[in-house]
Amino acid sequence: MWNLDNEAGPIYAQIVKGVERMLANGRMKPGDKLPSARELAAELKVNPNTVIHAFSQLEIAQISETRRGLGTFIRDDVNVEGMKLRLLQEAAQRYLGEVQGLGLTPEDARKALSSLNGQFKENGNAG
Amino acid sequence: MLAKLENVTRRYGAKDGVSDLNLSLEAGQAVGLLGLNGSGKTTTLKLLAGLLYPSQGKVEVVGKLPRDARGQVAFLSDSDNLYNWLTPADAERLMRSLYPDFRPERYKELLGFLEVPIKPYGAMSKGQKARLRLAMVLAREAKLYLLDEPLGGIDLISRDRIMQTLVREWREDGVIVISTHEVAEAEGIFDRAVFLKEGRLVLDAMAEDLRQQGKSVKDAFLQVLI
Repeated sequence: MWNLDNEAGPIYAQIVKGVERMLANGRMKPGDKLPSARELAAELKVNPNTVIHAFSQLEIAQISETRRGLGTFIRDDVNVEGMKLRLLQEAAQRYLGEVQGLGLTPEDARKALSSLNGQFKENGNAG
Repeated sequence: MLAKLENVTRRYGAKDGVSDLNLSLEAGQAVGLLGLNGSGKTTTLKLLAGLLYPSQGKVEVVGKLPRDARGQVAFLSDSDNLYNWLTPADAERLMRSLYPDFRPERYKELLGFLEVPIKPYGAMSKGQKARLRLAMVLAREAKLYLLDEPLGGIDLISRDRIMQTLVREWREDGVIVISTHEVAEAEGIFDRAVFLKEGRLVLDAMAEDLRQQGKSVKDAFLQVLI
């Protein structure tokens, strides 16, 4: 669910990304309570400082809020649709980077994507 | 600052165990002490624990000489150093008589969480032994926890449990120093990584800063030490 990778940049940033991804795919919803920093740290086997740092970043980004004595919650006003689009944009950027790295054109990229159309629908129906 | 080594050299005969070591440990940190065999990890831990004296330089723990701060230091040695007949209950009596800061309730919780079997030490597997010894050390209310190779040569499930326990036991007012070879597996639990090579400190970095530079602690380990 979290997919932490020590080779993939700071762990706090991966935790932030993990929360965004879970919000985008519906595994987490506005108003949901996040585990305590210590619980999550034990689950992920990472330093609690790292989780605290990740939570503070989520709060600065106005994705979560701390309710006194109750814990940390996903804000009710978080824009899940916007988040989905942003994650899609980021994925598109990575894809385009790969295409350019191969010396191919945006036209090739579009063709490759539309050739996957059938597959996409099948997966869409199944999910 | 909770503990420090200042220009510390410790010689064994003509050979240096550690040379001109400078290190200061801040409360709230989990520090990975990393290096190959013979790089000075155990010497460094023993200097902090007051079990070895520096040949040169100064070691301080909570503002005192380590031997005067022993009540604040919990040391887990990497050697298999308990009597074979000792059960977890015997170990509790032993620890209570030795350390006023030993908390029996905490010990019971730790035995449960670490799933330590109720049988004599000699009849336990290597991983079970490691878990019992860790429970004994972590049940103390110390400021400085020094763990020498707590993950060395034990089974996967024991390692997993031990790492979860280390994270659960992390406290803002204390420092945990963990020496280990299992860098890749343990690196997530460190704030800070201190690399020793042939008795010298070769890199002292925050783990997240290394990752920010696109390196894991393990990558840095390989770069610096090999």
